[in-house]
Amino acid sequence: MSGTTAALSLLGIALIAVVGVYGAAWAARIGSGAADAAPFGSGLEPTEHAVSRFHVRWYTVTMLFLAFDMEMVFMYPWTRVISAMGPSAVIEMFVFLAVLVSGVVYAWREGALRWT
Amino acid sequence: MVEAGAWWTLLAAPGLLVVLAALAVAGNAVLDARDAGRLVGVAGAVRPFLGVPRALVAQPRRLPAQDRLLWRTGVVTVPVAAVLSTLVVPFGGRVVADPSVGVVWFNAMEVLTWAGLWLAGWGPDAAFSLIGGYRFLAQGLAYELPLMFALISAATGAESLRVGDIAAAQDGLWYAVWMPLAFAAYLAGVLAFSFLGPFAYPAGRDLAGGVLGEVSGADRLLLQAGRWLWLASGAAMAVPLFLGGGAGPGLPSWAWSLVKTLLVLGLLVWVARRLPVVRADRYVEFAWVVLIPLTIVQALVPALVNLHR
Amino acid sequence: MDLTGLTLRVAAARPHVLLAAVPGGTAVRLAAERLLRARDWPRASTPAQADLLLVAGPDLPELRTPLERLWRDMPAPRARVHARTADEVEDALNAGRALLGPPAVRHASAAPPADAGGHREGDHGARERHEGDDQTPGHDGHGDHRGHGGHGGHSGGQTEMPGGLPMAGQGADRDGLTLDQLHLPLGPLLADWPAGLTVRLVLQGDVVQRVDVDEPARPIDDAAAEAFWVQPWLRAASGEPVPVGEAVRRRAAAHLDSLGRLLAVAGWPAEAVRAWRLRDDLLSGAPRAAVAPRLERFTRRVGRSRTLAWLTRGIGVVTAQKAREAGVGGPAARAGGDVTSRYRQWLADIRRDLPRLEDPAPLDVAVEDSPRGPWSAEHPPSAALIALLPRLLEGTELAAARLVVASLDPDPDELVSRGVVEVARG
Repeated sequence: MSGTTAALSLLGIALIAVVGVYGAAWAARIGSGAADAAPFGSGLEPTEHAVSRFHVRWYTVTMLFLAFDMEMVFMYPWTRVISAMGPSAVIEMFVFLAVLVSGVVYAWREGALRWT
Repeated sequence: MVEAGAWWTLLAAPGLLVVLAALAVAGNAVLDARDAGRLVGVAGAVRPFLGVPRALVAQPRRLPAQDRLLWRTGVVTVPVAAVLSTLVVPFGGRVVADPSVGVVWFNAMEVLTWAGLWLAGWGPDAAFSLIGGYRFLAQGLAYELPLMFALISAATGAESLRVGDIAAAQDGLWYAVWMPLAFAAYLAGVLAFSFLGPFAYPAGRDLAGGVLGEVSGADRLLLQAGRWLWLASGAAMAVPLFLGGGAGPGLPSWAWSLVKTLLVLGLLVWVARRLPVVRADRYVEFAWVVLIPLTIVQALVPALVNLHR
Repeated sequence: MDLTGLTLRVAAARPHVLLAAVPGGTAVRLAAERLLRARDWPRASTPAQADLLLVAGPDLPELRTPLERLWRDMPAPRARVHARTADEVEDALNAGRALLGPPAVRHASAAPPADAGGHREGDHGARERHEGDDQTPGHDGHGDHRGHGGHGGHSGGQTEMPGGLPMAGQGADRDGLTLDQLHLPLGPLLADWPAGLTVRLVLQGDVVQRVDVDEPARPIDDAAAEAFWVQPWLRAASGEPVPVGEAVRRRAAAHLDSLGRLLAVAGWPAEAVRAWRLRDDLLSGAPRAAVAPRLERFTRRVGRSRTLAWLTRGIGVVTAQKAREAGVGGPAARAGGDVTSRYRQWLADIRRDLPRLEDPAPLDVAVEDSPRGPWSAEHPPSAALIALLPRLLEGTELAAARLVVASLDPDPDELVSRGVVEVARG
C-alpha cells in the first residue's frame, strides 16, 4: 500500500464514520423537522447579521506570520541536508532567521504585537 | 524501524485514536468529580458518554441565515483532520504509512483546524460564534510558529522528516531530554490545536461557548470529539518525536508506545485543568517575543550537534 | 426493541441545564447550582447545548420574552421548569428529568405545538417580517421593528436580506479603519453574569466601542424578591438582632460566589468549582475548622497564580480615588486597582473574616460592610458599581470586558429588593 493510497483510504474511513454519525442522528432524531431558532443573544433578539467585515486587530501579526511561514517552507527541506552541506547551511539558515527575528523585535517595539 | 502498509492498520489507527480520546475524556471526568466532591468511580468516568445518545436524538436547529455548507464543512474538518494525522503516527513497530515527509503531513493536518474552526464560527451567523472563530486564528498566530520550530528541532536532530527515522534516531537519549524547550512548545501546541484548557479561548465561557455555542446534535458531537481526538493524536505523536517511540527495555514496543502515550495524555489533561485560559491578546506578544526566539535557539542545538557528528 | 425510548432514557440521565437566573432569585440559583453539581448535570451556556431550561427566581414580566426566546431556541427533546423558591428546586429538577423521559417526549413530539404560545409567536414574527419586505425602499422601519431596531448605518441599498435582518453597519474606529460594527447585548440571561443585568455593547472586531446599561428588570410584587447576599444587613437595619457571625459568613460566601464567577469567565472551571463548593459549605453552616484548610489551598492556588495575575493585570483599573468619587466602597474601593488586585482583595477579605464565623455579637450595619460595600437602602453599593461599568468597558477587548464585570460583580438583587429605587445609568 503506497502512502497516497493509505492517506486516501484513511480519509475514506473517516468520512464514512462521519456519514455514519449523521445517518444515526437522522434515524434517531426526535421531533418533526428542524426547530427554527435565533442565534444566542442572552435572551434578546438579534438586530443584525453577525457575519460582517470583522475588524481583526491583529492584522499586522498576520504579516509577520506570513514571513515566518514562508521561511518554514525552506526550513523543512533544509533539515535533511545539514550534514551534506556542512556549516554553511546552518550559518545561512540562522542568519536568515536572525534577520526575521530582528524584524519581530522592531514590530514589537512599534507595538504591533498588542492590540488592546 | 517501523513497518508500514499493513491494510488492517487503516482501521486500527482510527480505532486506537478513538479509544485514547475516550480515555482522556473519562480521566477528565474523574478529575471533575473529585473537584466537585462527587464519588470518584467508573460510573462518574463514563457519564460524559451519555452525551453521545443525547446528541443523536436531538432535533436539528435552523438559524435564520446560517451557511449550512460552510458550517458543516468546518465542523467535520476538525475530527477528520485529527484522524488523518494518525496516518504518520507510529505505534510500536507499526504505522499506516511512513512517508518521507511525515512531519510535514502532521503539521498540515493540524493547520486544517484553522480553517475548520473559523468556518465553524462563521457558519451559524451568530456573534459569539463568529468572535470565537476569529479568536482561534489569533491564537493560531501565537502557537503555530513555536510548534513548527519544535517539530523542526526534532526533524533536524534526525536529519529526516520521516517520523520512523526520528523515533529511531533517539537511540539511548530522548529528544525530550536534550530538547526540553521544543518538547514543551510542542505540548503547548497540542493543547492549542485541541483548543482545550488554557487554549480554550475560541470556546470560552465568556463567549457563551464561542464556536461551540450554536452547534447541537451530531454537529456538536463531532466538533467536541474533534477536540479530544486531536489531544489524543498530539499525545501519540509526542512519543516518536520526543520520547524515543516504542523503544524501551523489557516490554514489547507497542506496550512502550502505549505507556508513553498514556503518560503524555495524562499530563496534558492534568495541565489543562491547572491553568486559566490564556487570551490571545496576551499570548501573541509572549509567543513572539519569548517563545519564538527560544525555540529558534532550540532548533540551533541539534543543527550544531549534526555538524559535529 | 424500543431503541429511541432507550436512547431517550439514557440521555435523560445527564441533562444539560440552561440555568436562567432571575433578579431576586439568588437563593434559588445557589440551591440549583449545588444540586446540579452533586448530580453531575452539566450547565449549558446557550440554548443549543441545553435539554432543560431551569428558571430560578420570581416571575418578572420584563424577562418573559427573553425566557421565551431561550425556550424556542432549544432543540427537542427539551423541558422547561420554574423554581420560584430554593425549596422548589429539587422538585423542579426531578420534574424536568421526567419531562425528558420517553413518554413525555413522545407526547410532545406527537403534538408539535405543545408550546402553543411559542409557536404562534414565531409564526407571527415571520408574517411581520414578510410585510416588512414588501415595503418599498425608503419605507423601512414601519413594518419590521425587530429587524431595523433604529441602529442606523445600513450599508448600500435596501435589498432583501435573509432572516429579515439588516447587515451590520459601518462605524468609525480608533485604528482609522471603517469596518462593521456589531451590536451585542450581554445579559439579561447569560451564564456567569449578574442576573438580569443588560449591557448593550457596540463592538468593532472584538473591541468594545460603546456601552449602554439598561434599567434592571423588576418583579411584579416586591415581596417576592429577596436580596440574598445583603439579607443580614436588611434584617439588622429593620431592628432585628442579627449575629455578626452570620453576616460575616454571608459576606465570605458572597466573595466566593463572585470569585467562582470570575474564574469561570477567566476560563478556569476547575478552580471555579472549588470556589463554589467552599461557598456552599459556608452557607450550609460548616464550622471554620472544616473549611479553613481547603480555603487555604484555594487561596494559595488562585491568589498566587502568576498566570492569572498576568492575564488580569492592567484591566479595568479603578483607583481608590475614582472609586470614592463614584460612591463605591467595599472591596473594589479598598483594592484600588485592576482586576488582579480586586480578586486578591476578595481572597484577603475571606481570610480576614474566617476567624469570626461564629461571632455572636449583634451586627452593627454602620460598622460591618455588606459584601459589596457599606449598606444603604437609598444607595445600594451595586448601583455605584453598575454606574462604573460604561466608562470601564469602553475600549476594552470583549474578554477583558467580561473580566471587569466579573471582578466588580454587581448584585442586581440589591436594586430590585424593597426600598431601593435610585439606579444610576451610564
